[in-house]
Amino acid sequence: MTVLERLSSGPVYLICGGIITFVAVVCVVFLVRAWRMGKAIGMDPQKMKQAVTASATFSVLPSVGILLGVIALSGSLGVPWPWLRLSVIGALHYETQVAAAAAEQVGLAELSGSLMTPQAFATIALLMSLCIMWGMILSTLFNSRYLKRLRGKSADAPEGAKKQGGFGDLAMSAMFVGMVSAYIGSYIGDFVSGAGKLAFAGSWTPLAVAAVSAAVMGLLTWLAEKKNLRWLDSFSIAGSMLVGMLAAVLIGK
Amino acid sequence: MENREQQLQQYMRGTHRLGRLVSVVTLVLLLGAPFLIGAYLGAMPDLGAVARGFVAVGLVWTVSSVVEFLVYTPMLGAGGSYLAFITGNLINMKIPCAINAKDMVGAKSGTTENEIISTLSIATSSLVTILVLALGVALLTPLRPVLQSETLAPAFANVVPALFGAMGYKYYRQNLRLAAVPLVIMSILFIFVPSLTSSTSMMIIPSGAIAIGLAWLEYRRHIKEGRV
Repeated sequence: MTVLERLSSGPVYLICGGIITFVAVVCVVFLVRAWRMGKAIGMDPQKMKQAVTASATFSVLPSVGILLGVIALSGSLGVPWPWLRLSVIGALHYETQVAAAAAEQVGLAELSGSLMTPQAFATIALLMSLCIMWGMILSTLFNSRYLKRLRGKSADAPEGAKKQGGFGDLAMSAMFVGMVSAYIGSYIGDFVSGAGKLAFAGSWTPLAVAAVSAAVMGLLTWLAEKKNLRWLDSFSIAGSMLVGMLAAVLIGK
Repeated sequence: MENREQQLQQYMRGTHRLGRLVSVVTLVLLLGAPFLIGAYLGAMPDLGAVARGFVAVGLVWTVSSVVEFLVYTPMLGAGGSYLAFITGNLINMKIPCAINAKDMVGAKSGTTENEIISTLSIATSSLVTILVLALGVALLTPLRPVLQSETLAPAFANVVPALFGAMGYKYYRQNLRLAAVPLVIMSILFIFVPSLTSSTSMMIIPSGAIAIGLAWLEYRRHIKEGRV
């Protein structure tokens, strides 16, 4: 049995599957607690249901994208470990980069299943866990104090502002606008200067995909608002993404 | 009213207790798993290589984690952020997902409603990912050729542009002026310093800071005009 075969064997599945099951149970516990609390304080169950439905449909396509990360890493690390990493704590853009850097540190010429040794795997796996755990540590140590501090600050805001969510609400939307702008800006930059400064010969696919996705989102929003098809709201992001991704297939042909 | 307040306080205390507990347990499990799998394979991690690797790549991610914690915790509230930091995939899924749910039901940041909606959203999103990955792993053999087909490759390589295109429309139409400035500045930066595209996630910080600065100016103006 090769190292790669042993990495996809029953005991490794059991270890990784057990941790994933634990995290799934944690999610269910948080979900049920929040739902009960929402009902107890008089929130509209319809709104809560809408949030759950929209989040579920929203997450399907990105999850399939994440599954590709599992497939990509399975050739060098077996199936269960990438499955665990990308189900819990990991991030698609992070895992491959850290795994490759870790392989270099243990002396592998490249991240490859045929070169993998038991010690190389254990070292790579530990480094992958170690590098990305800080969000969880900070959350454990400071979440409560940090939020209390922010709440204290918002309590000083004018009464009218508090009722409308205050500056905090505007700041959150602005932060998100900043996030989207950074990504869209990077697609524009990649197209204009990706193949040489101001050459306009870089990849235009991400920009076109974003534009198609935005156009479909515009259409679905119009249908929901003007034609009173409110049910579309829960599926508009997922639907727009799907059409955007289809556009990428057509462009790629 | 007092009863509601008490219930809320109890809920928040419980959320923090539970959040801290499950974060520590998950941390122990994730750090313990490489040793456990190593024991099964008959080898332990090379701690010297781990230390060298951490200095080489881990420090960058540590800085990034601090920024993520500071920026995303207020967006997600207590329950949502504990869950998000445990389940990961923040930028490409959890944050847009929670923001979308919050906007859909009209919840305001920092309110109890937002805390509940954000927790529901992140928990649901995490469960969907766990389910999709579990199904995908179970059906890996028949799915592999489909998912790795050359035809579908561009679609899966463009999940994030598709996501930010749709979300961009939603946010840009709310406040075009606020959106235009960071977009123009970021585009110029990426055009004239193309190497920045490899660190787009770090560029969220200056871009977000510009947008927040503009939002603050607008907010102050509205207060002066008595519109808030």
